[in-house]
Amino acid sequence: MADWYTTFANSGLGTTITKQLGLPRPAELRRHEPGQPLLPGPVVVGSAGAGRLRDTVTAVLRDAGVTVQSPVTADGATDGEKPAAVVLDATGLTGPGDLAGAHDFLAPAIKRLRASGRVLVLADPPAEATSPAQAAARQAVDGLVRSIGKELLDGSTANALFVPEGAEASLAGPLRFFLSGRSAYVDGQLLTVTAADVPENPDEVAPLAGKVAVVTGAARGIGAAIAQVLARDGAHVVAVDVPAAGDKLAEVANGIGGTALQLDITAADAPQRLVEHLRERHGGVDVVVHNAGITRDKLLVNMDATRWNTVMAVNLQAQLDITQALLDADGLLRDGARVVCVSSQSGIAGNRGQTNYAASKAGVIGMVRAWAPGFAARGATINAVAPGFIVTEMTATMPFGTREIGSRINSLQQGGLPVDVAETIAWLSQPAAAGVNGQTVRVCGQSMLGA
Amino acid sequence: MAESTTRRAAIVGGNRIPFARSGTAYAQASNQDMLTATLDGLVARFGLQGESVGEVVAGAVLKHARDFNLTREAVLGSKLAPTTPAYDVQQACGTGLEAAVLVANKIALGQIEAGIAGGVDTTSDAPLAVGDDLRRTLISLNSAKTVQDRLRALARIRPGMLAPEIPRNAEPRTGLAMGDHAAITAAEWGIGREEQDELAARSHQRMAAAYDRGFFDDLVTPFLGLARDNNLRPDSSVEKLAKLQPVFGTGEGATMTAGNSTPLTDGASAVLLASDEWARAKGLPVLAHLVDAQTAAVDYVHGGEGLLMAPVYAVPVLLARNGLTLQDFDFYEIHEAFASTVLATMKAWEDEAFCKGKLGLDAPLGAIDRARLNVNGSSLAAGHPFAATGGRIVASLAKMLHEAGPGKRGLISICAAGGQGVVAILES
Amino acid sequence: MAGTSAGRTVLEQPPNMAALFAKAALTARGRGGELPATRLARTGVTVDPAELAGYARVCRFPLADTLPATYPHVLAFPLQLALMSDRAFPLALPGLVHVRNRIDVLRPIGTTEALDLEVRAERFARHRSGATVDLCASVRSAGAEVWRSRSTYLARGATAPEGAPESDVTVAVGDLDRAVATWRVPDDAGRRYAKVSGDVNPIHLSGLTAKAFGFKRAIAHGMWVKARVLAALENRLPDAFAVDAAFRKPLFLPSTVTLSTAPAEGGWDAAVRNARSGTEHLVATIRPH
Repeated sequence: MADWYTTFANSGLGTTITKQLGLPRPAELRRHEPGQPLLPGPVVVGSAGAGRLRDTVTAVLRDAGVTVQSPVTADGATDGEKPAAVVLDATGLTGPGDLAGAHDFLAPAIKRLRASGRVLVLADPPAEATSPAQAAARQAVDGLVRSIGKELLDGSTANALFVPEGAEASLAGPLRFFLSGRSAYVDGQLLTVTAADVPENPDEVAPLAGKVAVVTGAARGIGAAIAQVLARDGAHVVAVDVPAAGDKLAEVANGIGGTALQLDITAADAPQRLVEHLRERHGGVDVVVHNAGITRDKLLVNMDATRWNTVMAVNLQAQLDITQALLDADGLLRDGARVVCVSSQSGIAGNRGQTNYAASKAGVIGMVRAWAPGFAARGATINAVAPGFIVTEMTATMPFGTREIGSRINSLQQGGLPVDVAETIAWLSQPAAAGVNGQTVRVCGQSMLGA
Repeated sequence: MAESTTRRAAIVGGNRIPFARSGTAYAQASNQDMLTATLDGLVARFGLQGESVGEVVAGAVLKHARDFNLTREAVLGSKLAPTTPAYDVQQACGTGLEAAVLVANKIALGQIEAGIAGGVDTTSDAPLAVGDDLRRTLISLNSAKTVQDRLRALARIRPGMLAPEIPRNAEPRTGLAMGDHAAITAAEWGIGREEQDELAARSHQRMAAAYDRGFFDDLVTPFLGLARDNNLRPDSSVEKLAKLQPVFGTGEGATMTAGNSTPLTDGASAVLLASDEWARAKGLPVLAHLVDAQTAAVDYVHGGEGLLMAPVYAVPVLLARNGLTLQDFDFYEIHEAFASTVLATMKAWEDEAFCKGKLGLDAPLGAIDRARLNVNGSSLAAGHPFAATGGRIVASLAKMLHEAGPGKRGLISICAAGGQGVVAILES
Repeated sequence: MAGTSAGRTVLEQPPNMAALFAKAALTARGRGGELPATRLARTGVTVDPAELAGYARVCRFPLADTLPATYPHVLAFPLQLALMSDRAFPLALPGLVHVRNRIDVLRPIGTTEALDLEVRAERFARHRSGATVDLCASVRSAGAEVWRSRSTYLARGATAPEGAPESDVTVAVGDLDRAVATWRVPDDAGRRYAKVSGDVNPIHLSGLTAKAFGFKRAIAHGMWVKARVLAALENRLPDAFAVDAAFRKPLFLPSTVTLSTAPAEGGWDAAVRNARSGTEHLVATIRPH
């Protein structure tokens, strides 16, 4: 599935026309298909600095059946196939001088990168640097990766993982995600992993098997996609939406073998009702996805209190109240629970006419950051996902110009699909994502807004 | 049943589509469409996709000939496993409750572990029949073997035969509309206009309040753009209802209006029943148990009893068998076919001469606490798609009992065409 | 083909009733005198299932293995008509009004029984507005009488012979306050009953033909109304009973009428009245034998 322009630009005639006119040529992204290998080709792994993660990375890739190539030399000599991904282990940088190694490795490797390729840089967290020079080198990775993301063509992405010492075991899950088709629309992101209890041999085919997952706002759009992907990955999904959307909700639930729960999450007794439902029907819950959200756009000066309050109630207060109720309900939130909160690009970049919406979505980011240590203490995680321009029924009704600009001003030159958001959420819900906590992952194709 | 060793069937939950006044939201929907959507909503609520439950039992009062296997066809179109058996029942307005009793009995006997009981009706897509003469002529045309026979059959068709027969909401043996019958009963029991309007207004207000507090969130699934019963008038009041002209009865006895009588309605409902073990194994709740049920019929044709008075006779039998009095209930669900029916029913139970003379009791059954009657509204507010009403009431009452806590008891009383009544006891 | 002995004529075929009506009309003038002692009979008559089914449908009887109580009347009626249309009959058939009908069902009659029918006229009686005559029918099966009826016809303005008894056309019923059924009687009710009973008397068939005989509109057959009353009580009747009906005011077509019933003396009293005006069309008593 792709948008009309992407389809057109990749058609025979479209290719000719877009090339001659110098129009953007959005690539067809490599997206996850159950059963497909992690990567369609080999990975080149290189280092800058001491590189303490090299062995871990190699082991993960070998386990996934991926061929690991030696670094490409500056003269372009290779040892075979074009790489599908380039991984730079930049841990152990001591100062900016060490970054030369990064350049030496990346330049020839990226040159040979296939379409929908992956560039992933692993580094130490700048905040934990022991000297200004070390901090400078580590922070430099930020600018490096973001710029690579903007230079890459043909649906390739660049992301970075900051891996503190002692958190090496947490790397496997995020590494696999960023190399896989699940991260197709995640670009230019820098995440920090932490030490956590990570399962030894995670189930790659059905990573959520046996889990109970709640998805709010599941009747349509991104919520329906989240429910579908969680179910595909093995979870039993409790699909929640307002009673008025119950018919669509039932369709979604029936399509994935889940259950439908009609609930207005802003009702005073909604948290309690959800808790009772989960306790009665499932005895507990493993994954909670706060996806329900509404917009009531108006310039701030014209915005009435109702617009402000209803958006806040649905987008932020309900997430807070329900999460708190789940935490308070004894034993309900199972060990290793995952809470994923849907934020928005607007919450990061702001958006004209969306003061209420952007405020609520920014609030979500603050909320997960604040809750993360408490969640970590019980072996759980809470993260936010901030979608960029995602093609849904809602965006289909936007004016053509707004929609086209919105979908093109990102490094991948196209809008994302609901499934892209869903894949990221499903990944954060996996046991293997235990080391990602309190983070906000943007699913925006490296949007220029708020970047 | 009360003393036997059989197990009691559990009511796990229910689903219905919002009820729509005839010719409105569901004007284009067939019984099969509505029943299928209702089953799918139930499947979604309880995660029964691809499951084969023991049996699905449902029915419709107004049925097309093509709907001879309505419930099975709906099952085949639903998300239930295609290996789920189904059959149709029809006991007029008692269909839905009777279906639940049938399913419950099979569960009680251990013949099935779980089953779905339901009902559906449309007055918008009611079957039109060709007249008897044309029908017979067409049948003989169809069976004619020679061209000559066919021509002879065709020659018998007269223009007058071509007018379709529209089904009338009238008792075949009396030729009276149900409302006319109810009006006779209302006059006999001296049921006044004002008390009928009060009951109707209360039904609307209570149901609107129940919707507002989310009571129906897990009982109703929207269908064709309708999320609430479109007969529901939250702002209904005695003053507004008092302005309506009577439509049934004559002279002083003309107290029944479109406001205190149920309108023709389209809709469907379904209830999931199961053994406790089945529910437990599936992690599904047990809202209540169906304890016992009773049906009765009265001779409304030549016997002088009111058409809708059969539940009045059924209840004392049920009470006696279960060692209960009429006051031993926390909730009463008396189907509001007409406001006057509910009032006449209660008046009869309070009437010493009637209870002794007609019901053969030593003393009147007595009054019931009106505060416990139809507490979340009933058919006057929701509307009354004949066969769907039983399922609506069973699911709603089971939920009320569950919310009230263990050991609570509810009584259902449903009157039906043909002078019949189906009553049942539910207990949490 | 007919055999005659001692005033009893046995017909091999049922007479053609339309022809009889025509003959009676043409020979209406100049009638008078005593009742003839003629008895008309048919033997070994069997019921045509299709005709019975048509009759049952029109009168709302269930189609069963025994005959509706009124059905033997349909079998005997052609003989009555033949008797009345004969020149020897003293009253003119056109204008004769059926005012009372009593049927005695001595036992249920199976639909496949071979029946012997016999009709005769008797009781030429004085009536305040003319004279009445009774047409009596008897049905025997295997030698035993199983059914009999007495139909009283009124000829307005006619004169009974000297010394004739007083006519008895009243049927007394108790209070019948409660309407138990409402029937919409359509304007083709007469034509429908004529088709299944053979009683093609023009006063029942259309407004036009009825006007020719002095009625403002077509009127329903009394025997159809009576049959519907019995059908309404179909399964609440004893095996052997007498049903005695008086036909009061004409039931003009179309009409909406009500049926009132009340248990009486082990049987029933019944009345059929106009739903609006209350005009009484029929009262009947049904009593067990």
